[in-house]
Amino acid sequence: MFSKQKENRILLVYVLPALIAYLLFKLYPAILGFYYSLTDWNGIDQSYEMIGLANFKEIFADVYFWKSIQFTLKYVVVILVVSNVLALLLAVLIESRMKARGLFRTLFYMPNMISMIIGGYMWVFIFTRVIYYLADKSGLAFLDQSWIGDPRYSFIAIIIVSSWGTVGYLMLIYMAALQGVPLQLKEAAVLDGANSWNVFRNVTFPMIQHAFTICIFWSLSSAFQVFDVIYALTGGGPGRATQSVAMNIYEEAFKGNIRYGYATAKSTILFVIVFLLTLAQLKIMKRKEQEL
Amino acid sequence: MMSFPQFMDQWETYADQFEKKMMDEENLKVKVNLEMPSSDQYESILQARLSGNDAPDLFTLHSNNISTYNKAGHLTDLSNEPFTEKLFENVKKTITHDGKILVVPIESQAWGVLYNKKIFNELNLKAPETLDELEKITETLKQNGYTPFLLAYQEQWVPQLMTALTLGGKVSGEVPDWVERMYAGDGSYEEMRDIFGPIDLIMKNGTERAMELGSELGAADFANGKAAMFVQGTWASGTIMQTNPDMELGVFPLPINNNKADTLVNLSTSTTLAVHPDSKVKDVALKFANYVLDDNDSSTLFESTRFNPIATIHNYETDPWVTDAYQYVEEGRSYQDLVLPQAVTEEQGKLLQEYYVGSVTKDEFIKRMDEVFAGAVK
Repeated sequence: MFSKQKENRILLVYVLPALIAYLLFKLYPAILGFYYSLTDWNGIDQSYEMIGLANFKEIFADVYFWKSIQFTLKYVVVILVVSNVLALLLAVLIESRMKARGLFRTLFYMPNMISMIIGGYMWVFIFTRVIYYLADKSGLAFLDQSWIGDPRYSFIAIIIVSSWGTVGYLMLIYMAALQGVPLQLKEAAVLDGANSWNVFRNVTFPMIQHAFTICIFWSLSSAFQVFDVIYALTGGGPGRATQSVAMNIYEEAFKGNIRYGYATAKSTILFVIVFLLTLAQLKIMKRKEQEL
Repeated sequence: MMSFPQFMDQWETYADQFEKKMMDEENLKVKVNLEMPSSDQYESILQARLSGNDAPDLFTLHSNNISTYNKAGHLTDLSNEPFTEKLFENVKKTITHDGKILVVPIESQAWGVLYNKKIFNELNLKAPETLDELEKITETLKQNGYTPFLLAYQEQWVPQLMTALTLGGKVSGEVPDWVERMYAGDGSYEEMRDIFGPIDLIMKNGTERAMELGSELGAADFANGKAAMFVQGTWASGTIMQTNPDMELGVFPLPINNNKADTLVNLSTSTTLAVHPDSKVKDVALKFANYVLDDNDSSTLFESTRFNPIATIHNYETDPWVTDAYQYVEEGRSYQDLVLPQAVTEEQGKLLQEYYVGSVTKDEFIKRMDEVFAGAVK
């Protein structure tokens, strides 16, 4: 066998390509971002000044930023529950089928394969034309809402489209976890007189805890960065009623007064929030995981 | 890099012609690489490329941004290029900064409110000169079962056109120093309260579900006769005529109040073409810039893209609605687009959406705009 040191070196070589890509395209820009958050750079000028923490001070009084944080938090909580519950439900349903598993798996995963911008524009059409038509012809009056124009309903629309896009991905992870639950454990439980709910609750559920950790981690961090769905559906409007943090940051950096430095300061704050939350989430959920 | 995805074919043909011309006349093998990002993302992409030292040799920009980009060192002085002598004087004025011509104007237009001439003729209506007349027209239309205005507010720049027109008319007609004073921190939107006259009238008498309608679908709906008037520039005529080739399109200036002096069409240069000073092939880039106003080929390009004539070499027949709008220009009833900070323009679009759904009042609108203006010129 190799010595420990040599083994480590070999492992390092294996991850090197991914590591280099990560350092170059993720970590390096992120660190640069921290640096720019201390400047007043506007993104096009060739010169800029260090202004210390002035950007961060200004953020505390930025009403629209905190409103967008509030909106994003609401979105995160709802999407976290909705998409994970739906994904788990689908995974269990499909796993319990004998036939056509592959077909259903592919069908539900499919939305993942198109960009959410395109998916979003498709849904705009559905919400503004198809549903409108349906409500008109079938008399389903509750459908006749301004689905993407009225902030109350557009939030629902955003949740629908987002879960449509993410459920398939989460479902695959849950399915993989479900397949990993040893059959003999379930059989033993059944022999002991457990009904199917009990089997799920007391055998399957604890055995797929690690999938929860991954799925919730993933949906948490991606939900905080929600952008494309909202951009395609409402553009953050009317006004700023459905503006997420990512959109607020985008507008600060590329629109309006083009304040690149200020925008990176905002994203630094977003990063800290997401970082702390996911860290706490991982800590709590890791503790609950069962080892076989 | 250009922001004309809707005219991709025309510009590709033009670039091919340019390549051929270079080959024939100077024996230069040139390959023009056209990039056409969608207009929503164009500016973000351009900024990323400029700040990443990956500037396109030529790029389009809005004439309002000329001074910003010039300060950042991204524009070449074109004052001595041959094309400048061909430009119309009033167009040249719109793109001259500090006595220098830094860009080639491409799109210059006179615009106001689009209206359906068929409906107007049927009801014996004439283009309004005052707000009272516009109100009367609105009433007549409603009595005859027509929806007066088409509202398409999903994209923020469309409602924003109402502030562009109303502020432009009011400022140019009555308070010419308003913009200057706003920049100096010595003015207020309070002085512009009149603008809500036409804005309220339009919003109250418009089509429903405005927040769900984008500009393209809105233009199509207008072409299909869903409403008689549409606050939209003549640039939408492409979509409109494509949807309904029999459409009789007209243009009138939006009245702000009952002072006829405020009822003006907007004459401005929007898209212009700039040459980046660090271009590695600046000679060729300059040649292309001049080629845009080529004596022989330019007219065909401008005609096929339905751009308005901007230079003496342009001698094609214009569309009836362009003729309509330019009639006001000839009468001296036009104003030069107000140069407002980008943040102000965008905030107006946002606030108009909110005003439409009722989440801000007039007073909040005015207060917020004063704040944004002050923040933008700080």
